[in-house]
Amino acid sequence: MAYTRKNVNRLTAGERRRLVEALLEVKRRGEYDEFVRLHIEYNTPDGERGLRTAHMTPSFLPWHRKLLLDLEEALRRVDDSVTMPYWDWTRERTTTSVPWTDDLLGGNGRRSDRQVMSGPFAYRSGYWKLTENVTDRHYLTRDLGRAANPIQLPTGQDLESALVDPVYDTAPWDSTVTRGFRNKLEGWGPGRGSVSWRNHNRVHRWIGGVMLGGAAVNDPVFWLHHSFVDLQWTRWQQRHREHRYLPAVPPGTRDAQHGRVVARNERLPPWDVTPDELEDMSGVYQYV
Amino acid sequence: MVPGVGAVPEGGQHATPAADQGRTRRDVTRGLLSSAVAVALAPAAAACGRKAHAPDDGRRATAFEETYRGRRIRGTEVRAARRTAVGGAQWEVTIDGRPLHLMRRADGSWLSMVDHYRSYPTPLAAARAAVDELGPDEQLHDLAPGPMGEGPMHTEGGHGVHA
Repeated sequence: MAYTRKNVNRLTAGERRRLVEALLEVKRRGEYDEFVRLHIEYNTPDGERGLRTAHMTPSFLPWHRKLLLDLEEALRRVDDSVTMPYWDWTRERTTTSVPWTDDLLGGNGRRSDRQVMSGPFAYRSGYWKLTENVTDRHYLTRDLGRAANPIQLPTGQDLESALVDPVYDTAPWDSTVTRGFRNKLEGWGPGRGSVSWRNHNRVHRWIGGVMLGGAAVNDPVFWLHHSFVDLQWTRWQQRHREHRYLPAVPPGTRDAQHGRVVARNERLPPWDVTPDELEDMSGVYQYV
Repeated sequence: MVPGVGAVPEGGQHATPAADQGRTRRDVTRGLLSSAVAVALAPAAAACGRKAHAPDDGRRATAFEETYRGRRIRGTEVRAARRTAVGGAQWEVTIDGRPLHLMRRADGSWLSMVDHYRSYPTPLAAARAAVDELGPDEQLHDLAPGPMGEGPMHTEGGHGVHA
């Protein structure tokens, strides 16, 4: 029986409390920091050598889908009523909207050092100390909207421009491709400056603080963001039923991307699972 | 400790132009873009009482050093320390003496572990952007495995996959 993932703005007070408590318990058990570590480790960008599985690559979507599934499984071991809600950043667009409330993820960071001071994930609450980080800070930081140089969250139209593309991804399967649903959603645009950070990437920048770096998983909004990104993959599949994950087969030995991307039926490190096996989640969870 | 950084002369801002050989049109284009970034950042550098620094002026440089917003940024070009897919020079950059985990993007631009969701035309621009994201007294954490390539990363049979 599949469970459901809901819009975070539709959670009841009790559902919010159970989500928060499950996150804190997974953190207390030491399991949460394994997810942070994994995301830091799998940072390979496309200008570096070697296989890249998490970013600037076709498997951006299945990789984060699997990471989210594993976290959700950890939460459900604590409380099997919990599932990961999604944050629709095309609609909840202000620094005081859901999920930035004290009964969910807490609010913005303070101006002086961007430290989050409210809600259950504030350092001073005593439950959320960052132990895996790219800097020496142990407290959660945010800079919602980038106070010094403001940007806006992506719009529904920005998202639509990705969803309308019928092709999942295209050669050279990296951050430079201008066609294909995957990179339009991941958000590596051409050119410089604000217009070149789109959809998924732009949301990381809008939140700022730890969400801007390799240790982004330290902010629990990472999961609500990726739940919504994951929902877009599902929506894209429903809209383009004859299209699937690409590449279907590995790039050939003479291709510069040989050995550097994961094809549909290849193993997706660090897991023993293929993108093909992660395409249809309808038996596991459904978005409502 | 970062190999090579010790070779940078102490004090002052400087850039060491390299022989202007083998420049491609892409290098020139990147230099122009770099200049634009340097101009854009000049007010911030001036605001903290320091002159905007030279290596982003389009020349090729083998080292740079400056104080930006109160942080000491040093960069050294290193050769054959590791290989990237895009080729070109490799840089080791520190902020206040701590290594900045710097990586290449396929279009030749640079990004860091502090600012991982966009990229910059030069190592210096990426380092300044990382400084912009650091809070007061916040320092880079020396990531394990070593950020300069000694440690195992995730790829099967992978090697040299990170800065």
